[in-house]
Amino acid sequence: MLRKPQLYLTKVFIQIFLRNKQYIFFSLLLPVVILGIVGLNDGERDPVDIGLVDYSNSNISKEFIEKLSNNALFNINQSDEVNLRNKLIKGELTLILVLPNDMGNTNKTTNIKLLADKSQINFIEAIKPIINQTLISVEREISEKIPMFSLEIKDIKSRTQTYLDFLLPGIMAFMLMNLSIAGSGFNVVEFRRRGILKRLFVTPIKPIDFVSAIVIARMVIVLGQLSIIFSFAFFFLDVNIVGSISHLFFVIMLSVLMFLTLGFSIGSLAKTQESVGVIASIFIYPQIVMSGVFFPIETLPEFIQPFSEILPLSIVADAMRSISSDGLSFLAVYKNMIGISIWIVIGTFVSTKLFVWKEVAG
Amino acid sequence: MAIIKASNLVKKYKNPEEKLKTFNAVDGVSLSIKTGDIFGILGPNGAGKTSTLEMLEGLKDIDEGSALINSIDVTNNPYEIKKIIGVQLQANEYFDNMTLTELLKLFIALYSSSNDPLELLKRVKLQDKANANANELSGGQKQRFSIASALVNNPLVLFLDEPTTGLDPQAKRNIWDLILELNGAGMTIVLTTHNMEEAEFLCHRIAIMDYGKIIAEDSPKNLIMKHAPNKIREIKYGNMEDVFIALTGHGLRD
Repeated sequence: MLRKPQLYLTKVFIQIFLRNKQYIFFSLLLPVVILGIVGLNDGERDPVDIGLVDYSNSNISKEFIEKLSNNALFNINQSDEVNLRNKLIKGELTLILVLPNDMGNTNKTTNIKLLADKSQINFIEAIKPIINQTLISVEREISEKIPMFSLEIKDIKSRTQTYLDFLLPGIMAFMLMNLSIAGSGFNVVEFRRRGILKRLFVTPIKPIDFVSAIVIARMVIVLGQLSIIFSFAFFFLDVNIVGSISHLFFVIMLSVLMFLTLGFSIGSLAKTQESVGVIASIFIYPQIVMSGVFFPIETLPEFIQPFSEILPLSIVADAMRSISSDGLSFLAVYKNMIGISIWIVIGTFVSTKLFVWKEVAG
Repeated sequence: MAIIKASNLVKKYKNPEEKLKTFNAVDGVSLSIKTGDIFGILGPNGAGKTSTLEMLEGLKDIDEGSALINSIDVTNNPYEIKKIIGVQLQANEYFDNMTLTELLKLFIALYSSSNDPLELLKRVKLQDKANANANELSGGQKQRFSIASALVNNPLVLFLDEPTTGLDPQAKRNIWDLILELNGAGMTIVLTTHNMEEAEFLCHRIAIMDYGKIIAEDSPKNLIMKHAPNKIREIKYGNMEDVFIALTGHGLRD
């Protein structure tokens, strides 16, 4: 099937890419940095810095402080009120709790003041229940009551999943989209603008040979780059891959093909280098937000969700996540595979209909 | 014997002012070019020179008329045509980050030819630049490299689209010598140019085009005899520039 001129052109495309060191560096840098930040943080939040002023110095206040300190969510900073207020203004503290001097008095309700910046109000709403809970447990100990209820949270998926495990397939899907679009649409428009395409078509090479050479070259390049990101995540960040890696790569290869055909469509729609940038942005940016790469699709407004689910990037990210995180086979994600195939058909149709090779030459 | 025969070639383009209308950029051009000739197509900008060339090269569809090169029909067998012709385009950009040798190897592979890249570079006196990138070359060197890349398939016909435009006199002379040398070895050469001196110096025959039509065709000498203004004809010392202006007028073209 592959003839020598075609293979040689494929080799040249890979060679050109490998010599563009700067591009390789930056295309790998972004995903590595994002994964690195999330991975090194271990998916956990930094403790919240809380200032604490204790005017009562009673047993009860000490017990309350001790309980709060034991909670990993908080980092307690005990000092006098003036000093802490300064720190709050500077932004070194999120909030200050002021325990009044009548805290030891069990005969009346003690009013604990919470000082905070208005901008932090949402965040404080989230912390308030924990402080309340701590107060209640201190109260119970004093009144020697046994709590009536307790809430135990269990992980339904029965394996340790971190945000990183969620993020990795999405980042890889996002990366393969960018690389494929850049490799087809942008390349073709650039080659056309500079007259390189015309020069190639002076020789007896056929458009199909040219397209298949680009597709094969990009496939090799993208698989290489994804393997690097994958190894980085696997060896340095300790991500969990539950499913089969070969199934994952099968999905990746089909996805690369899909984004390449869509990229060719973009390159065919765009007549100039500027317009290819605009059209590619219109294609890429909404997908970053709407396709569940960084956040689950369920967090989007309900009316957008059905639309989000048919976006090429959503289909790919979801299929990759199902395989890598949930251990499904590529047959089990057949709906996604059908979705990818439909997009390949659309991309092939649009690009072959719109890409006028004679015009490219002229 | 004519190696190129074209009859009534027409190329239509969309009218830039009225999108629905077309105009004929090439309007019924017929050519007969003899084997071993250097044939020049002259004309102001927009006269249809490049479009005519690109139809012959199989790069543009022939809207009406027909063309044969070495008895092969261009419309029916564009890929067979491409195997026997060499083309130097007006724009000569190549892939970045590739040396001249590597670029020639690519073209050799695309033609499944067996030429030696170094030999080709020697023919255009670029052997010293074998490991340079195309974008490091001067204007004249770039044109010579373009010609080298057009020779990889040992073409019967070499098409050169404005081969010396923008070159300094030395580089221009250098290209002329190369063209004469290739022609001396038997290659038929078709070139377009604005440069009258070039047409006069190189070409065996010249066709002058304007508004998509050939308005005169003959040897440079005969064209001067026929069209140069009288007083110059009397002393038999006219040049092609006089012919050109006499035929196409003084009006500026874009």
